[in-house]
Amino acid sequence: MHLDPFELHRPTSVEEAVRLARELAGRCDYLAGGTDLLPNYKMHLNLRPHLIALGDVRELRGHSLDRVGAAEPLADLEADPEFRAAYPGVADALGEVATPLVRASGTLGGNLLVETRCFFFNQSYFWRSSLGFCLKADGDKCHVVPQKERCYATFSGDLAPAFLTLDAEVEVAGPSGRRRRPLSELYDAAGDGIRRLSLAPGELVVALHLPRAARGQRGRYKKLRVRPSFDFPELGVAVAGRWDERSVDRLSLAVGGVETYPRRFDELTSPLLGAPLTTDRVDELAEAVLRKVRPVHNTFLLPDYRRRMVAVYVRRALAEAREGGAAG
Amino acid sequence: MASVSESPYRLLGRRIPYVEGPLKVTGRAEYTDDLQRPGMLVGRLLRSPWPHARLRSIDVTAARAVPGVHAVLTGDRYPTPFGVLPITHDETAIAVGKARYIGDIVAAVAASDERTAERALSLVRFDVEPLPEHSDPRMGVSKVDEPIHARGLAGSNVQKEVVQHFGDVDQAFARAAHSVRVRGTFAGVTHAFTEPMATVAEATPDGRLTVYSATQVPHYLHRALSEVLGLPMHRIRVIKPEVGGGFGGKSDPLPHEIVCAALAIETGRPVKILFDREDVFYTNHGRHPTQNDVRIATDADGNLLAYDIEALIDGGAWSSFGTVTTYYNGVLSMGPYRVPNFRYRGRRVYTNRPPSGAMRAHGGTNIRYTIEVALDRLAEEIGTDPFDLRVRNALPPDSTTINQFRITSSSFLECLSAVRTASGWDEKFRKLPYGRGVGLGCGFYISGSNSPIHFTPKMPQSTVHLKVDMDGGIAVHSMQADIGQGSNTLLAAIVAEVLGVDLDRVHVQRVDSDVSPIDLGSYSSRVTFMMGNAARRAAEELKERLLAAAAELLGRPAASLKVGHERFELSEDPSVGVPFLEALHRAMETTGALTSSGSYQTDPRGGAFKGAKAGTAPAYSFAAYVAEVEVDHETGEYRVEKVWAGFDCGRPLNRLAVEGQIEGSIHMGLGQVLGESMNYRGARLFNPSLLEYKIPTPQQMPEVEILLVGRDDPAGPFGAKEAGEGPLIATLPAVGNALYDAIGVRFTELPITPDRVLRGIDRRHAEGRGWKGR
Repeated sequence: MHLDPFELHRPTSVEEAVRLARELAGRCDYLAGGTDLLPNYKMHLNLRPHLIALGDVRELRGHSLDRVGAAEPLADLEADPEFRAAYPGVADALGEVATPLVRASGTLGGNLLVETRCFFFNQSYFWRSSLGFCLKADGDKCHVVPQKERCYATFSGDLAPAFLTLDAEVEVAGPSGRRRRPLSELYDAAGDGIRRLSLAPGELVVALHLPRAARGQRGRYKKLRVRPSFDFPELGVAVAGRWDERSVDRLSLAVGGVETYPRRFDELTSPLLGAPLTTDRVDELAEAVLRKVRPVHNTFLLPDYRRRMVAVYVRRALAEAREGGAAG
Repeated sequence: MASVSESPYRLLGRRIPYVEGPLKVTGRAEYTDDLQRPGMLVGRLLRSPWPHARLRSIDVTAARAVPGVHAVLTGDRYPTPFGVLPITHDETAIAVGKARYIGDIVAAVAASDERTAERALSLVRFDVEPLPEHSDPRMGVSKVDEPIHARGLAGSNVQKEVVQHFGDVDQAFARAAHSVRVRGTFAGVTHAFTEPMATVAEATPDGRLTVYSATQVPHYLHRALSEVLGLPMHRIRVIKPEVGGGFGGKSDPLPHEIVCAALAIETGRPVKILFDREDVFYTNHGRHPTQNDVRIATDADGNLLAYDIEALIDGGAWSSFGTVTTYYNGVLSMGPYRVPNFRYRGRRVYTNRPPSGAMRAHGGTNIRYTIEVALDRLAEEIGTDPFDLRVRNALPPDSTTINQFRITSSSFLECLSAVRTASGWDEKFRKLPYGRGVGLGCGFYISGSNSPIHFTPKMPQSTVHLKVDMDGGIAVHSMQADIGQGSNTLLAAIVAEVLGVDLDRVHVQRVDSDVSPIDLGSYSSRVTFMMGNAARRAAEELKERLLAAAAELLGRPAASLKVGHERFELSEDPSVGVPFLEALHRAMETTGALTSSGSYQTDPRGGAFKGAKAGTAPAYSFAAYVAEVEVDHETGEYRVEKVWAGFDCGRPLNRLAVEGQIEGSIHMGLGQVLGESMNYRGARLFNPSLLEYKIPTPQQMPEVEILLVGRDDPAGPFGAKEAGEGPLIATLPAVGNALYDAIGVRFTELPITPDRVLRGIDRRHAEGRGWKGR
């Protein structure tokens, strides 16, 4: 396996990057840490002849408690004790992404936008050619759920569920300027493993913004995988909120790693506000989330097991949620 | 026999860092891929996308026409079959007539660069007839449509069937007070060594061929190259650079090595083939997917009466070591216990999957898991402690098994007693809270095969040459293959020990068939025992000549001298002596540089029946391990917290290397338990990558306490036996039995993934069976 040649562009501003992307529409990818994109390129998955490298765009770097640049390496966030303390669920997720080596290159934006994954997609060109290509790359049928319409590739980022629970917003730059919208709207719930994002062609995620109220909440992210390192999530459960033994003031829950997009379950958590978070209520919530998710057999662990773990992980995440420490 | 806790030797028995360590950790060590030759071409292989297909015709015209392409080869150019065992030559360098698995090599190209080579391969056109896919060994035992090889038994896909019966098993079961039956199912696993295969070949105008390759057995590669390419061995030179791990995966001569040499001959240019990880997975030769069915009978007191074993082994597309595997799955159940009656039927079946072969603790791992789980069950049924059951049945030292293995040294009882005490077994077994448990697993393994693959059984299995010139440096030549396990270091240390010199005088030379005397390489855990003995003899010969020279200088009889540190001195008065160099120079006066040669050959072993040599060895290692586990009964996830490893390798000659082998073996054994598995759907391998093939991470490693309790083996060099493969075996059943102690569920299918753990707990609940109050 080798990397095919590509033309590398090195813009120095967001505007230049977006302009390049517009000129090269359909023939380019943005390149940040490369830990997801380049292995996929080696497998000849949806190759583009142009790569727009974001490493020289200063605006994409740096972070504070309010804002994280999209090209900020995960290791830099992880190394900031104040950031970790303010967002304990995010801190969990940061420590669970791949390996320290990957986190040194991998970026926030790369993790939020990580390519969806599937046993039939993340394979070499040779492997895929021997079976027949799939919907998501070079082919016209799905091998997971045999049909020709929908892709079931799984969303496999760890940070998105954690940030979703904090009402984070993404700042997106495009040909028609910049806009901010809820992180949840970045993902296309009506889409599938291919049409998974709501980004228009050429649009670039510039930064993630965190509201003041996101700080100091309880939070936890729990990740299911075969090995405690390297592996992508087979399930990721994030919770955040404010509650004590008397009452729930705020509660948010998001799940990744089981469907084509990371998903928040406000319809299940909002009925719990204003009342104590009893064991019964937690159990009901856990079972309700379990009933809502539909993993398919396209990762290492079996879908039945992953569903069953949804309930266990929801219960445990709530039980283990830690108090955010930094200035609220 | 001396206890080995205190070493009477100057170097041996201590912790000796690897002699090549500084080169490896600074990146200076030279592996095959580091080699560059002028004008070198890139060799690439085209692999079959079909699990089973007749190759009606292959058109390489367009591929050959690509600028930069120097040669395109198909199977018809070098069709001579080969294979590691002389009796099962069923492989070809490139597929001839049929492709037999997804990944089988169907064409090869040498080109100026990688992209040109791949472009050329994409232009090779095939006319193929798809054939029935055989992926279930159970279906391959009787006559099939289009068997994978013509040599399958009676039109089936059975590559080898072994049937053995000693004593009277039926009669033993008829009078048994207790009996159990356990059926084990094992996914295939693979070696996953660090360095992917790589070969560089060069044919030169003097009519010679030089092949550098990442191989465990340079000599078998040498022979296969000669057979397939039709060149006499003396015109082929095989060189082994540093090798980054093998574990059995580099012990067969492999087709790409022959293809690389063929491309070099065709082009007249040096050619390199370097594998990526997916190539390594398709080459495989890992541990066989296996199903075994074990029945064990005892009398009322727990004395073993009989084993009755049946094994069905998925061989993949080729024979490889499979005939040996088929024997080993039976005969390697003959220790570490006394088994008076034994019946075995083993069948290895070809399938359209990557070939399986030899992997660390070859043939002794899966069968051992099932037996040790069965013994754990028996102990429970009889109402005896698992340790006591094993002590009662332990095979004593200096005994003979019913199939005529000769056991010499054994410290199996000491292994049991050491881990029983160290692990706190008696306070823990069945007494820990629900979810926590301890388990015992045992094993034994050959310390070198007594009946190797060789020209004739009379030739030595190992030869070592020494040369020392006036500089006082000692060059050591041998075809033993250091693959990271430390054999170069041991070779140097043995020579230095015998001659009394510092380690930095001894220089182990790179394996080069032009100058290295034949040793059969790194497999069957033979190197320390056989090479060690050969090295000791070579060094003793040199020592005698140096002592004679020193005696002349001192004017005293040689018998009154002994070896000191860098000198030879009077036994009665060590202050009187001659420095090493002075003695050396005196000895050289008549002959010039001194040379010596030592060799080792095993004594004849085994009975006279068919297959009697399988599993015979000059010595055996023994093991008893305890594992302690903690199970999360809600998720099925578990952690192996600690392993106590009681091991008998005779005298450990390099403690650092022995400890490394044991820790590495435990890690590798745990992999097969925790999640490593060649995941097939039908004939298709789904996880040919190190992301989806789940080698345990360092966080999953338990604490390991190593208890080396062996005593000097009478025939081993300085009392040593093997420590490279035996340490793996006991790991698996120790964990399996600990899981039972923790949650009351028997696991007979590996790997034991969390979903299987949960299903096991569900099943127990459904059966209404409680465990430790849960």
